[in-house]
Order: sequence, then structure tokens, then C-alpha cells
Amino acid sequence: MRFSMLPSVFVQMFKKPWTNKFPAKYAPSNTTQFLADVGEGKAEIVPPIQTPKGFRGKIKYDKEKCTGCQLCIKYCPCEAIEFKPKEKKIKIFLARCCFCSQCNDVCPTNCLTMGDEFLLADADPYSKDLIVE
Amino acid sequence: MKQTATTKTSYHIPVGPIHPALKEPVYFEFEIDGERIIDVNVKLGHIHRGVEWASRKRNPIQVLYLAERICGICSYCHPAAFSLAVEAAADIQVPERAEYLRVIQGELERICSHILWAGVAAHEIGFDTVLYFTWQIREKALDLTEYLTGNRITKGIMTIGGIRRDITKDMLPRIKRDLQFFKDNFEKLRHIFLDDKTIKMRSQGAGILTKKDALKLCAVGPTTRASGVKKDVRVDTSYFAYGDLDIDYITPDVLTGNINGDVYDRIIQRLLEVKQSIDLVEQCIDEMPAGEIVSEPKIPKLMNQLKKVNGEGVGRHEAPRGEVIHYVKFNGQTENPYTWKVRAPTYNNILPWIPMLKGEQIADIPIVAASTDPCMSCTNRVAIVNNNSKYELTKEQLHKMSVEKTRRFMK
Amino acid sequence: MTKDKKLTPEAIVKSFKDKFKTKIKDAKIKKRPAGIKKNQTANIWMKIDKSVFKDAIKHLCDLQFPHLAVTSGNDLGKNIELIYHFTVNYGTRMEEINFNISVELPKSNPEIETICDLIPGALITEREKMEMLGVKIKGIPDDKRCFLPDDFPQGVYPWRRDETGVEKLYKNLHEVKK
Repeated sequence: MRFSMLPSVFVQMFKKPWTNKFPAKYAPSNTTQFLADVGEGKAEIVPPIQTPKGFRGKIKYDKEKCTGCQLCIKYCPCEAIEFKPKEKKIKIFLARCCFCSQCNDVCPTNCLTMGDEFLLADADPYSKDLIVE
Repeated sequence: MKQTATTKTSYHIPVGPIHPALKEPVYFEFEIDGERIIDVNVKLGHIHRGVEWASRKRNPIQVLYLAERICGICSYCHPAAFSLAVEAAADIQVPERAEYLRVIQGELERICSHILWAGVAAHEIGFDTVLYFTWQIREKALDLTEYLTGNRITKGIMTIGGIRRDITKDMLPRIKRDLQFFKDNFEKLRHIFLDDKTIKMRSQGAGILTKKDALKLCAVGPTTRASGVKKDVRVDTSYFAYGDLDIDYITPDVLTGNINGDVYDRIIQRLLEVKQSIDLVEQCIDEMPAGEIVSEPKIPKLMNQLKKVNGEGVGRHEAPRGEVIHYVKFNGQTENPYTWKVRAPTYNNILPWIPMLKGEQIADIPIVAASTDPCMSCTNRVAIVNNNSKYELTKEQLHKMSVEKTRRFMK
Repeated sequence: MTKDKKLTPEAIVKSFKDKFKTKIKDAKIKKRPAGIKKNQTANIWMKIDKSVFKDAIKHLCDLQFPHLAVTSGNDLGKNIELIYHFTVNYGTRMEEINFNISVELPKSNPEIETICDLIPGALITEREKMEMLGVKIKGIPDDKRCFLPDDFPQGVYPWRRDETGVEKLYKNLHEVKK
């Protein structure tokens, strides 16, 4: 058997690609412009694959339920959570968050849950999208 | 080819730390006589990060996530070994169901890692079609990992005294379907690797590690088993649920009848282990008992228990690359570990490179080096961050420098 | 280098105690059950005196050639403790023994003999102990630095907890720019 992969190579030419072409079928030359176009409705985005159940995405914080016990701060592995002593509430910096969901396990009142949002890249670590409070 | 009279001068060729042939930073200094390597010197430490030192300021739950980030590919085995060490030190008994779930996660990681390695090895010998084929299988394995743990790479599934996520009944059909997919494609992969002449020509007789050298230099994992040393923590000891399962040593003579200890044997070794892992996951799913998955779900309570522990423990787990061993010592005053020592498999597989590479051709360096599945991030963990301001660049500065560089090239 | 007969943990401890008598300070055998069948494998923790260290390793090599996993180190204040994690009986189903030999060295004179001549695979871990804990290893074939960079200051040992540690080298590790 000298060329055992040759049949696979030919089959591959006529197959649909295995990967999802996100965000567009062909890589846009200017991503910022492309995203702006999507915002205005000029271009269409290829949606990302649906996240599975139990995916650990952006943290959701139910402020009403929080009692300010600070257990999440003690067990956060990357010190992403800050305490606001006046309100007795917390502030989560997602730029530091490692999405381990340990705070959800520790929380006695279950006020923290993991969402399924994952497109969180940003140039500014303190942008509004990356702070949950 | 016959080796005739050697030339009087030998040449020194540095390879690394950044080199297209090596995927991770490691520095080799080769002494070359013509095309033949006569001496090798290895220098490590280019990605030291001071992990063990950092653990002094963290409690065991935080250290779990630190351990997970030692290495991306073995992101399960380091927390697993750490948990085993802590459980041994504090004498925590893990529920039976959790032991089985831990085996499933560990074996799934082995499938991912070995298939990834098969792709990298194919790439190193210039067989890129196989790279894409294997990584297509790995993609499926990663999807399954995401389904079971919530993330593709950093699984975050381990916890002290158990495991964080259960496998419920409605998950089983998907797992079985994916295992069947691995089995079907495994046959194809086996056919490519074992019957294809291209791979045989490149890998047979290259990078030989004899059994004697493997024993002497304390090699671990598939590297040592491919040389015929029967050493596998899963079989040797009873931890997790491995003591209950039907598992035996795998050495390449199972398939070929003799052991050469060359790159080809290491390829066979890893492929056979993929088969074994699929088999183990199936056994676990069939035999898994019902029950709790964590011994102590309330983490503050667990921490109070660990605070009183004054003792030491060793945790050993068979990672895809070999035995990983963690040593943890508590001093009974804080819950933070007093000492934490991590020994990743590549740490022991560095010295065997020297007998493997001696006498080889320059062109064989990448595949021989890759054949031990080196993981430099695992090995180099300790560094001191000397915050010198000249290394810090703001985003604007970096952007400006990049633009300048591009302009310079465009002239 | 040939594999001798299987050893039981009790036999190992006994043979060491017979040979070195009072130089063996402490020897414990720990067993932990796992899984449904509660199979157990043994861990031996043994403290030995520094003076018989090399002979003890030689004795172990005579019993059966061990696999050295790693050496870990502790800073205990006045002393430095080195723990050599060996495994013996590998290659037998569930009869492997994890054998931990620990030896204490005074900080004033942290010197120990190399075991590289008996187990060549110990080289990297011994070099690591030299740079991380400042232990002097007598007769080591290669005493270059292994993990730390060459321009790292001399006389600073990252794993120490006294004034030779690294506490003075770092600053603002946890500071976040706001």
C-alpha cells in the first residue's frame, strides 16, 4: 500500500467542509468593516454552532439574590471578582475570568449562573461587555 | 549507507528555542559530523512560570485550576494527580461513582491527546493529509468533551473528593455513538499508520531507545512501553476505578511480535492505547454504579477539613504522555499547600532524547523529538516574574510597532 | 538491572531496618483503597539519616532496580528535606509500591551525594534541586543550570522560605491596572 490516503484526498475535494465557516464563508479583508456592515444589515453573518447544554459562557449575576457573603471571592481561582462594600454586592471582571464556574458551585444562594454567550473578545479589558455587576 | 572516515571538524547546530520543526520552546545544541549527530545538549526553561511558588498563596480549590493550566492538552491529569495527592494527605474517600467518572474523563483525554499526537507525527514526517484526517477525529473527541464537561480544553471537571459533573442516562446514546465513530475511524487510522509504506520508511529504525536505556534514564509512559518496559500506573496501582477494570499492559510486540524501541514502535504503541482507551470507557459506562459524585459538596466545609491536615501525600496518574506525580504537603496551619511539587511526564522523557538522537540524521530530528510527545509547558513550570517595565508594552505601542514593521517590509 | 522477585512492602521495610538499624528514623506503610473492589496499593514513607543515604539507595538498587519518579523538596526552617519518590515492582498488576525516601539536610551545610552513578535518570531532578533549593550535590556530572535562566541572580533559591527566597524579586504581581 503506497498511497493509502489518495482516495480520501479525492473524496475530500467534493465533500462539504467539516468546519463551520464562521463569521463568513470567505474571511473578510477587514473584520471591523465586516462587523459594521453586519450591524447595518448589509452583510450576513454565518452563525456559530449552537453551544451544548451546560456550556460555561459569560456569567449571569442575579443581584437581588446576592447576600454579599464573599465566598465566591475567596474561591475564585483568578481573582476576577471584586467586592463593593457599600452595596454589599460583587463586580466580576470577565477579562480575568477563567470560566470555571467554581463561584456558581460555592454560592449559597445560587445567584450566579453560567450563560451561553462566548463571543467576548475585546481590546479593552474594562469595556462594558466584560464587567458583570 | 556506509560511514567512511570522519571529518576532522564537527559542527555545532543550535535548534530552538523557536524553530519551525519544534512546536514548543526547547533548545538543542547538536554536534554534527556531516549529516550525522554525534552529541546532543538540551537546554530547558524557556517557559518557566513559577506555578509551584504561586500555589503557596492559593487554597487547594484555586490550585486545581492553576494545575489545569500547566498544560492545555493534559488539562485533566494535573488536577487529577493533585486531587489524588490531597485526598491521600487528608484521607478523603471518594464515592465509587466518581471514581468511574474520573476514569471516563481520563481516557477521553488520552484519546484526544494520542490522536493529536498522531497528527503531529504525520505532519513532522511531511504527511499532512493524515494530519487533517486525524484532527478531524480529534474534533469529534473534543465535541464529546465539551458535551460532558462544558468546555473543549480546560475542562474544569475535577474537584477534591469527587468530580463536578455527572453523566446522566440521556447522555449515554451520544457517548456510545461517538465511541462507535472513534472505533470505525480507528481502523482506518490503523491501516494508514501500520500498512502505509511512507510512514514505515520514515520511522522504522529511527530514534532507537533500548530497554536498558529506558530503565536507566527513568523514561515514562508510551516512550518507555514502546521500548518494552512494562510500566503503566493504571495497571501497576489501584487508583480511581482502574483496580476494578480489565486492563493489561500494552507493548508494541502485541501487534508486531518484537520490540525495537524506534519511532515506529512508539506510533504503534499510541495507536494501541487509543483502542484500549475506547475499550475502558465502554467498560466504565457498563459497570458504573449509582450514587454520589462528590464526597463533600460544601466547599467551605472541605476547606476547614483541609486546614487541620498536617501531612503529605503523593498522587500519581497515568497521563497520555506518561506518569504524572504530584507531591503535596500541608502544615496544619493554613489550607494552602505548604509544598506542591509537580512532575510532568516530559520531565523524565528529556534524557532519553540523547540516546535516541545520537547517530541520527539531521532530517530525523523533528520526528524523533516529537516521538516522545514532548510537552514543554508541563516541564518548565517555575519562573520568577521580575517585573521590569521595559517588557511592558501598551496596546497602542504594540500596534504602532506592528504598523511600523509592516511599513518597513512594504518598502 | 534484571527484575528480581516481587517485593512486599513489609519485606522492603524489614530489609532496610536490618541493614541500617537506627539510621532509619521512621517507616510507615500506607494503603488506600479505591474503586468498588477496594483494591489497595502500598505507599512506603521512610525517613533516613543523611549519613547512610547513598548506601540506602545502593541497597534499594540491589533489591530491585527502582524507577525514580522525581525528587521533591521542602524548606522546613532549619533543615531542607529532600524526598526521593521511587517506584518498585512495576510491571506487576496492582503490586507496585511507591517508595518515598526522605532525608533531611541542615541548612548550614546542605550537601548530599549524587545518585546519578546508580540511576542516570536522576540528573535533571538533581540539577533542579541545586538551583531551586540551593542543595550542593557532590559529584554530579553536570552542574549547569537547568530551568532557571543564566542571568538569574546567584544565591537566590526560589523554593526557600527564608531570606534567600524570591520574595524580594517580585512586585505588584496581583495589581490590576485600572
